[in-house]
Amino acid sequence: MSSSAKPSAQVRKRDDVYVKRTATRLWQELPAADNAYITAQSRCHGYDLMQLMQKRSFVDVLYLLFRGELPTADEASLLEALMVAFINPGPRHPATRAAMNAGIGKTDPGLILPIALTTLSGKHNGAGSLEEGMRFLRQQQRKPAQDTARQLLTTIEWPAEGDCNIAPGFGSHYSGIDNMSQQIAGHLLQMPAAGTALSWGQQFARALAEEGMGWLTTGIVAAVLTDLGFQPRAAAGIYQIISAPGLFAHGVELANKPMTAMPFIADEDYQIEYEK
Amino acid sequence: MKNNTGFWDQRRGKIFSSKGGWKIGQGIFNHGYSMMDDFVGKTSYMQVVMLNATGRLPERPLADWVEAVFICLSWPDPRIWCNQIGALAGTMQTSAMAATCAGTLATDARAYGVRPLIEGLAFIQHACLDSQAGKSIEEIVLSGNRVRRGKPEIMGYARPIAKGDERIAAMERVTEQLDFDIGEHLTLAYRIEDYLATNYNESMNINGYVSAFLSDQGFTGEEAYRMYATLVSSGVTACYVDTRDKIPNSFLPLRCDDIDYQGVVARDVPDRN
Repeated sequence: MSSSAKPSAQVRKRDDVYVKRTATRLWQELPAADNAYITAQSRCHGYDLMQLMQKRSFVDVLYLLFRGELPTADEASLLEALMVAFINPGPRHPATRAAMNAGIGKTDPGLILPIALTTLSGKHNGAGSLEEGMRFLRQQQRKPAQDTARQLLTTIEWPAEGDCNIAPGFGSHYSGIDNMSQQIAGHLLQMPAAGTALSWGQQFARALAEEGMGWLTTGIVAAVLTDLGFQPRAAAGIYQIISAPGLFAHGVELANKPMTAMPFIADEDYQIEYEK
Repeated sequence: MKNNTGFWDQRRGKIFSSKGGWKIGQGIFNHGYSMMDDFVGKTSYMQVVMLNATGRLPERPLADWVEAVFICLSWPDPRIWCNQIGALAGTMQTSAMAATCAGTLATDARAYGVRPLIEGLAFIQHACLDSQAGKSIEEIVLSGNRVRRGKPEIMGYARPIAKGDERIAAMERVTEQLDFDIGEHLTLAYRIEDYLATNYNESMNINGYVSAFLSDQGFTGEEAYRMYATLVSSGVTACYVDTRDKIPNSFLPLRCDDIDYQGVVARDVPDRN
């Protein structure tokens, strides 16, 4: 069959109907009387932006953007505590080090954060595991955490080296239990808005402790976002928003320093394993 | 073993590369080749791209074939989603690199772009095994694939916006010019296309063609995805340049009422409790 006779060769437009205007339910911009391109009033889910500025916190409005309603005081406190807890992945985190590499290289400052957040999108204890983590908690929290732990521990294939992530958001961290994550989870659990996911996660983490595993950062974020009613698909971005201040701060901290202010691995410590 | 940090200690302050690197004063090595001596001026850029992505240095004709696909996927049309990101970045005077990276990143997507190649190669390789095991084309098409609007949804077949795909005829010419045979996977891909055309009025798309060809050449889906990580980048750059060199903010400007607000009506903000 010649190319022109093949089904793919007949290219014609589909009759799909595309909308004329993009729709949104979360933000309304009302035009100025004398210029339809200029916004005279902005509303977030019906609330006037100027009123939100006067009466509510950043955390309240962040919650409003994604949930469509303002949070209760308890919900806002839980979200704010989560945001403080994970405001900075810390200077050893791969995403932070990506920001630092950008900073020390004098990368355009406006690109430091996208570089770091792109790195943070990874699936290994990064934003890329959050959606799966929330779905795991939503499914598993209906049954006893000990049962889930027992089942997973009997079926898991232990890696020969490195860490074991037994479930999204739970596992070992540098071959041990992530101490800070256990402390943070313990604090969040005491807050009034803490719900079933956090409580279930705590029991699950305890059931894993004997095996040297527990909460990971992403498990806690997934649990809090589950308890607050966020959608799993939004979780990766929320985690990136939460971590952004620390990532950027570390990157920009190095932006006015010489390139010698970060280690450059010596040749003797650079081993090429490949043999031709 | 709990809190045994030996694995981490061995790697602390050291890099173990399975690829290569710069030995200062000795040369730059890549999978055992000297990049300056063995590659520069001797191989094509795409051969080195494929070596970096797969660990194997291909023959020049295969690299030329892979390169031709880049032309098929880099169009200067800002209506395409990734390209529009480049155009939007241009209209707000973002840098060329940021714009190109942003648009390219958008093709790490489920609906279109580069990531679907993983599923495309997986489908045709699995289908080939099914065919060898005696399954009919109908069974391959109808078993295990999602059905949407009454049609089986198979990665590599049908596409958004249009039916048919002009890029396949172009790549078929390249396949012929470079003297490649039509292998088992591509033969099967055509048979599947014929079945879909007859029964559902759908055809193969460029993903299906590339997936089948690369499967015949022994690539995995992940290898194809890695080789083509920047597949659309040049088209994004083109769309960026088009708007960057024009009046800022003039690309598809929107009036307030060009957005269809469907949310709740105005309400007063309650005080915090």
